[in-house]
Amino acid sequence: MSKIRFTEPNREILARRDSIINDLTRLVDPAGLITSTDECRAYETDALTAYRKMPLAVVLPKTTEEVSAVLKYCHDTGVKVVPRGAGTSLAGGAIPSEDAVVLGLSKMNRVLAVNYDDRFIRVEAGVTNLSVTAVVAENGFFYAPDPSSQLACTIGGNIANNSGGAHCLKYGVTTNNLLGVRMVLIDGSIIDLGGDYLDSAGLDLLGLVVGSEGQLGIVTEATLRILKSAEGARPVLFGFPSCEGAGKAVADVIAAGIIPVAIEYMDKAAIEICEAFAKAGYPLDVEALLIVEVEGSDAEMDATLADITAIARANGATTVRESRSAIETAAIWKGRKSAFGATGRVADYLCMDGTVPTGKLSYVLAEISKIVQRHGLRVANVFHAGDGNMHPLILYNANDPSQQSKAEAAGDDILRLCVEVGGCLTGEHGVGIEKRDLMRCQFDDADLAQQIRVRAAFDPRWLLNTDKVFPLDFRCQG
Amino acid sequence: MQTNFSLTALADAHVSESEKILRACVHCGFCTATCPTYLLLGDEADSPRGRIYLIKDMLEEEKPATPQVVEHIDRCLTCLSCMTTCPSGVHYMHLVDHARAHIARTYTRPLPDRLLRGMLAKVLPFPGRLRLALRVATVSRPIRKWLANLPGGAQLAAMIELSSSFKRRRPTRRLPGATVDRPRGRVALLSGCAQQVLGQNINEAAIRLLTRHGIEVVQPIDEGCCGALVQHLGYESRALDAARHNVDVWTREIENGGLDAIVVTTSGCGTVIKDYGFLLRNDNAYAQKAVRISALARDITEFLHELPLQDGVRTTGQVVAYHSACSMQHGQQVRDQPKSLLRRMGFVVREVPEGHICCGSAGTYNVLQPEIANRLRARKVTNIEKVKPQIIASGNLGCITQIGAGTRIPVVHTVELVDWAMGGPLPDVLKGCLG
Amino acid sequence: MTDCYKPRDECGLSSAIKDAATAKMPLVVRGAGSKSAMGRPLGGYAMPLTTERMRGVSLYEPTELVIGALPGTPVSEIDRMLAKHNQMLPFEPMDHRVLFGTSAEPTIGGIVAGNVSGPRRVAVGACRDSLIGVRLVTGRGDIVKSGGRVMKNVTGLDLVKLTCGAWGTLGVLSEAIFKVLPKPARSLSLGLRGLDDMTAISALTAALGSTFAVSAAAHIPASIGSDSTTIVRLEGSEGSVAYGSRELARLWCSFGLPDLIEGDESANFWLRIRDAHWLAQPMDRSIWRLSLAPSKAPRALADIRRKLGVRYFYDWGGGLVWLAVVGADDAGASVVREAMVNTGGHATLVRASSEIRRRIDVFEPLPPAVLKLTQEIKKSFDPDRVLNFGRMYAGI
Ligand SMILES: Cc1cc2nc3c(=O)[nH]c(=O)nc-3n(C[C@H](O)[C@H](O)[C@H](O)COP(=O)(O)OP(=O)(O)OC[C@H]3O[C@@H](n4cnc5c(N)ncnc54)[C@H](O)[C@@H]3O)c2cc1C
Ligand code: SF4
Ligand code: SF4
Repeated sequence: MSKIRFTEPNREILARRDSIINDLTRLVDPAGLITSTDECRAYETDALTAYRKMPLAVVLPKTTEEVSAVLKYCHDTGVKVVPRGAGTSLAGGAIPSEDAVVLGLSKMNRVLAVNYDDRFIRVEAGVTNLSVTAVVAENGFFYAPDPSSQLACTIGGNIANNSGGAHCLKYGVTTNNLLGVRMVLIDGSIIDLGGDYLDSAGLDLLGLVVGSEGQLGIVTEATLRILKSAEGARPVLFGFPSCEGAGKAVADVIAAGIIPVAIEYMDKAAIEICEAFAKAGYPLDVEALLIVEVEGSDAEMDATLADITAIARANGATTVRESRSAIETAAIWKGRKSAFGATGRVADYLCMDGTVPTGKLSYVLAEISKIVQRHGLRVANVFHAGDGNMHPLILYNANDPSQQSKAEAAGDDILRLCVEVGGCLTGEHGVGIEKRDLMRCQFDDADLAQQIRVRAAFDPRWLLNTDKVFPLDFRCQG
Repeated sequence: MQTNFSLTALADAHVSESEKILRACVHCGFCTATCPTYLLLGDEADSPRGRIYLIKDMLEEEKPATPQVVEHIDRCLTCLSCMTTCPSGVHYMHLVDHARAHIARTYTRPLPDRLLRGMLAKVLPFPGRLRLALRVATVSRPIRKWLANLPGGAQLAAMIELSSSFKRRRPTRRLPGATVDRPRGRVALLSGCAQQVLGQNINEAAIRLLTRHGIEVVQPIDEGCCGALVQHLGYESRALDAARHNVDVWTREIENGGLDAIVVTTSGCGTVIKDYGFLLRNDNAYAQKAVRISALARDITEFLHELPLQDGVRTTGQVVAYHSACSMQHGQQVRDQPKSLLRRMGFVVREVPEGHICCGSAGTYNVLQPEIANRLRARKVTNIEKVKPQIIASGNLGCITQIGAGTRIPVVHTVELVDWAMGGPLPDVLKGCLG
Repeated sequence: MTDCYKPRDECGLSSAIKDAATAKMPLVVRGAGSKSAMGRPLGGYAMPLTTERMRGVSLYEPTELVIGALPGTPVSEIDRMLAKHNQMLPFEPMDHRVLFGTSAEPTIGGIVAGNVSGPRRVAVGACRDSLIGVRLVTGRGDIVKSGGRVMKNVTGLDLVKLTCGAWGTLGVLSEAIFKVLPKPARSLSLGLRGLDDMTAISALTAALGSTFAVSAAAHIPASIGSDSTTIVRLEGSEGSVAYGSRELARLWCSFGLPDLIEGDESANFWLRIRDAHWLAQPMDRSIWRLSLAPSKAPRALADIRRKLGVRYFYDWGGGLVWLAVVGADDAGASVVREAMVNTGGHATLVRASSEIRRRIDVFEPLPPAVLKLTQEIKKSFDPDRVLNFGRMYAGI
């Protein structure tokens, strides 16, 4: 039923498990070494629970030096390593291999420095995304990338997946908000890329590391750009009687040169799910909903909203509702940000992450519902529309193996469609294991070969997050 | 999340209930971020998601609990912060109750642990025994250090430490039901076992408040412990017995005179009473009655909030940090009522940073897991002190003692403050700092 | 064999590079050549390869805010095309002709190769932040693509970023795709006079730490003009700029009463900042570009000035310092680099005689582990070392 393969575990490593564990006890604090079957089990999967693998052991270092010692050891003895932040990857990026040590950053969660003059914060990689904003909020600053999982996901995971969020339409994704990292290479060497200044020296290795899904090294510290929060922000709900109308409205807003802070899309299925959870006042009598947020002074917001409202009306919007209070605003965003979790109340889901040109949104939405129907399943759509980053949630029953394969097949069809119309397989969740075998629909062999060679410059023995991103049959050619 | 239970396993009502809960969990990890133990320890197995996963494995495989699983479940505070966070509506409380019962059935704890838990279960729910134990504890305070070095001794020492920080009060008899002339309502006020011994003044204040508003208060003489303590220690059948007993007592009260509410001043008890309906769902004789009882249960602040409230009569304006007990904000989802009551009375109420995180009290937790409990207390006190309050108010005796042991700022029950503002006596701990 | 490769398309580019690789003939890659005098001089003979014949806009979807162009396309052509739809390249690329005294119009390929940005970088990011897709031909002659035409993309390794700012040492660009922005409806500047460096940077910091639509922030010290100018630019809708300028004036009240600078005057001033106009003459001065944390910049400058005769100004709110060195036979490298070691950040020797550029590092020297990675990456793209070999670092 599960279509995704893992490489055969290295028997020799499995046989050496006891001695490896023994060696690791000398490298990390005992509280940070997990070896019992029961406790390792807690690490066997991430937010893509359809796949699971028990790791050899789990280490939870507390310092960069410990990370370095572990990586050096693994490098010297040929043991694979799977980096892990909070394990919220939707693409299986943090799923272990049986012959790999999971290296978790969850104990490295200190804030190291905050500098409001130079507008940066330096944190350890295990700090959660939301707690970065929480630290600087008292001075009216925030950290812009806001994945829906921001409560839980770590900065290290965000860097590995170049995470985005609702508000990235205006402020950019992780790569645009990261100034520097300290990272440990697989041979244990510790390097700094970038720092508290703009544009790192030499080749843009910082840019390369972002989105590299833990395959180039382990990030232990990050310097992030922080921004002053706007005086005011106001989300507005636009309800449409048709999905096409909503899709068209998104394209028209962008085309008109208006860049709101966020444009989020929900279809009827998603609206019902989220409203039941968050009681945010989403209209239930519409086919599609856009949450558009604008910010600035009151006058600015009024002006922008007037323009957006005109476009929405022209595309048939029947409901237009502004948030009237901070509580309402919080509820509107809570509903949106809890969408995936709340979907869990109704069904299991596979979350796709393809990105398409905004002009193609309506077409792709219509095609997605056809694809999913063809596979005999249902879909809920809730996504970052402003940048074309779609998240169809394919609903299925995980306890029914035939539905699981149907869901996966539907997912593949959707992603192929996204690539066909000029988009990509993944906008912000990463390739992980989930989309690994689809990489060839977006890249040809020359593209992949070059990526693999670059990967090998960092990790020649393919020890870091081995089973991810690149098709299994491809790597040897590097 | 996918589950893998055999059909025979699912025939068991508990298992099938837990299976439903597990199916709702999408393993998104949101809950990890608001879990106190994960915050401190950073180990997935000490997070709600990890615990859920370990429980799933244990139940699916129908295997006896292992020491590792027990360790991680034991570390859970049952603060239910994870339930507030979970967008999927995963009922962690019911799942972990099931797991604890499973542990109690399949796992033999080391002797010291067993003795301690047995003792807690035998003492705490019974006011008479608790009084006696406190006397012993005060005497044994000097040997605390020595105890701490024995196996299981750390917990015992913690218990002594905590109990000797309680102010000893003269044991009083149960409060008489307070009558009013032409009552506008009639409620049963839960006496609470530990509270009778350690916090008599709380219910006294509650009764004054209620009667002042024309509510007749009854306190059925044979009412017992709500069952929370034994429930969290994994003594499931004892918890059910306690629930049945109280359902009977209150049902009788409903039949003789009627009840508008069962008012609770200890939010830990309130959470469990509100859950009687679920606990007794498979007991044909009790299921319906229990649902009725649960529906009547109200925290005192919830109940007061719905009344046309009198104005305060004293000069207030003091800065109060309101600490919401986990059982209040997560267990019962009562959030705004206590604060708005205090504000109504003219107090300046400040929100505590990281207010959703447990203070470490959590029933018997501060006795069983003193190290984590102490770290949480320190963290809580630091956060509370950040807002520079004159008074700390909370709606749960456990929190009041836990926090009180870590700060010089006086800690009182919300109703004590409200009562004072309306003309009641000044709570003891405030004497000297307020007048 | 010709004496210069001038491929017309990607295929031609690929076969040219394959030829060169087979013959182990080093190539010096150029667009229009406006920045040829930047970087380390290549040792020995290298055959020129120019992309100037690969020109034209390959993709433009104004409604999706994306534009793609072949490498030899002059930036001005792209600007004109975008202007028709009232759009712009967000990062305001600098024009190096002023500094180098060259005349050929800069091409987009060169902009990408140098990750060239201008004053707006501080608000909307660098060239590398707007660049969302590339096609390139590696030193192996392989045609490789990365990224695409959508804003969000984490499919595979981000070779887009790696290519941007690699000075043509990894591959030769055959297409670049950018996200663009609508032109702001309104733009104006506020300037303060007479501030010393330290105070000026505080004023800029206050402005950049506000929400008043600040899109650029610079300080021109008195040593350059007659009086110092501390200037910020506000851009956005009519309303937000009007509001921002009002509020900013209030925020700045402790620094003085700002002048309002509008229209061409404002635009020209920012052009001069963008192109480091004040340092261009005399041509024999060496010119540095320092990137560092703004709060550390004035002190670093004070250090440098104690030991070197320099003219300088700040852009990016103080995070970018342009420096012209007077005299000094190492172009002031030892002093500048020492200052960088103390503050963190990096220094690039943008202009100097080829003799100096041969002797000293042009780009910030890399720590050994990073250098090793850089070498490995170079090898992975260009094992035969045909592309701009040695232009960034010796051996790369
Ligand atoms: C309900 C839900 C909603 C989500 N919404 C969004 C969204 O809106 N936008 C979005 O972009 N994503 C979203 N995600 C996906 C996910 O949260 C992000 O990808 C997140 O960045 C992962 O962070 P993590 O700490 O959980 O990393 P993990 O899941 O633990 O790991 C993710 C990847 O990063 C690697 N990694 C982790 N830490 C490091 C490190 N320190 N150094 C090197 N490699 C490392 C891992 O090996 C793995 O490949 C969502 C997920 C869920 C479950
Ligand atoms: S938040 Fe809920 S759904 Fe998510 S992992 Fe926790 S319990 Fe499961
Ligand atoms: S109840 Fe509290 S301690 Fe237990 S798992 Fe949930 S959040 Fe953590």
